[in-house]
Amino acid sequence: MRAQANLSLSLPLEGRAAVCPAHSSPKGASAVAPLAVNVEHLTKAFRGKTALSDISFKARQNQFVSIVGPSGCGKSTVLKMIAGLIEPTSGSLTVDGQRVQAPLRNASMVFQAPVLMPWRTVLGNVLFCIQMRGDSAASYREQALELIKLAGLAGFENHYPHQLSGGMQQRVSICRALLVRPALLLMDEPFGALDVLTRERMGFELQKLWSLERYTALFVTHSITEAVLLSDSIVVMPGMVGRMPAVTIEIDLPRPRLAGIMKDPRFVELAALVREQIEAGWVE
Amino acid sequence: MGSIFGALRIVLSLAAATLLWEYGAPLVGIPSYVLPVPSVIAAKFWATRMVQLSHIMDTATTTLLGLALALVVGVFLALAVVYFKTLRALMVPMLAAFNSIPKIAIAPLLVIWFGLEMESKVVMAFLLAMFPIFVNSVTGLGEIEPDIIDLSRLSGGTPWRIFTHVRLYHAAPYLTDALKIAFPLALVGSVVGEFIGGNRGVGYLVLSGQLQIDTPLVFATLLSITILATLGSGAIELFERFFLSWRPSMRTQ
Repeated sequence: MRAQANLSLSLPLEGRAAVCPAHSSPKGASAVAPLAVNVEHLTKAFRGKTALSDISFKARQNQFVSIVGPSGCGKSTVLKMIAGLIEPTSGSLTVDGQRVQAPLRNASMVFQAPVLMPWRTVLGNVLFCIQMRGDSAASYREQALELIKLAGLAGFENHYPHQLSGGMQQRVSICRALLVRPALLLMDEPFGALDVLTRERMGFELQKLWSLERYTALFVTHSITEAVLLSDSIVVMPGMVGRMPAVTIEIDLPRPRLAGIMKDPRFVELAALVREQIEAGWVE
Repeated sequence: MGSIFGALRIVLSLAAATLLWEYGAPLVGIPSYVLPVPSVIAAKFWATRMVQLSHIMDTATTTLLGLALALVVGVFLALAVVYFKTLRALMVPMLAAFNSIPKIAIAPLLVIWFGLEMESKVVMAFLLAMFPIFVNSVTGLGEIEPDIIDLSRLSGGTPWRIFTHVRLYHAAPYLTDALKIAFPLALVGSVVGEFIGGNRGVGYLVLSGQLQIDTPLVFATLLSITILATLGSGAIELFERFFLSWRPSMRTQ
């Protein structure tokens, strides 16, 4: 916890005081935090074909929530609907108490591919969303450089994306998402394209970066270990055949979660619980 | 080291071809009015250098004016198609159909409409150069990865900001490639325009060489045209090297 506080000091906060209480509060406090995302009976059909049927779950403010489930169960669709990028067919969906009707204006998204602009350097890419928001890149330069350093990319500020490895590119895209201090951080299988070893390291790196300010985060993944490592709660989505409701599992492991935690009996137990839920959805 | 060797190889093979032409052509008895040897062409080029220069300037002017016009109109039409999806279904097939008309066949019509002066040549150059610029601009400005657009919108990006920060940069390599095709086409347009009428430009010079059966003049003028074409593509390549060093084909190891 102390190491965390140090990290957040190096990144000056402005007007995000609401974040701080959750920061220093003991575990359990998040249970009373206000709702950030509320998804109720959400259904989406594309040209008559159901992509997602009757999904309900909640995410509280400053919580890290993972969404796991078999492929094709509509995880990415849920994320895009929450972002307001696609419209639900039926059901209700609120972010910070507001019905989502248009693309959110203060959210950021990390995709499976880094989606970096080849004509921009690392620094330029990290500053991209700031410029899209209409702010001057110059006034965020220092913060961007700080974030790049924290992500372990010091010395690569002026490199172009093609000069970086896949893992480094994805770190750039995470920095880009964090620099805007999003009200909602959406991640759609951000480590899906990385090799297993890089992926494991990136999980810890993401935890470190997220701990700085604890943005409300929704994280879509295939990896149970990753979900348990990072989350406050995990939403297990059913497959299309089972038609079971989505189940939410609370992860009560203390933070920060360090490398050894994967051997912790509680970690193993929770991972098994998530796996059980996923497998329950397989049965026809 | 490798590039020096490569350049040397090109120079050597060019020299060999020139020597073969110089001494081989008379040996097999090809007369000078059919195929003049390089030394005769070079002498003619030097003797007519001021005439060449004055005519190539005319051709260069109409080519560049036509190209500039094609760039403005092509990009403008592409923007219309990119931003108004309904126009796309209407305009793209129409322009494609228009493009399939052999424009050289309508050159005489252009003379009737625009006269024998520069205008008809500029229009001819424009007509030939416009289509590749339009097609490439539609791709470059329009086919942006949806994730980039989503990302921009989620941080509050307006269409104008997305245009200046994303679409323009994305289109730059497509436009440069379009120019690589459109510049020689505009040159063809100008020269064809000069064939059809008027008494200016390298097209006219080639034609007068033909009428006097002055084959060395024809070849000397072709040399001028080649020099102009090379300068044009060189300028485009220079632009690419300076401003588009990030594109995959321009990356240095």
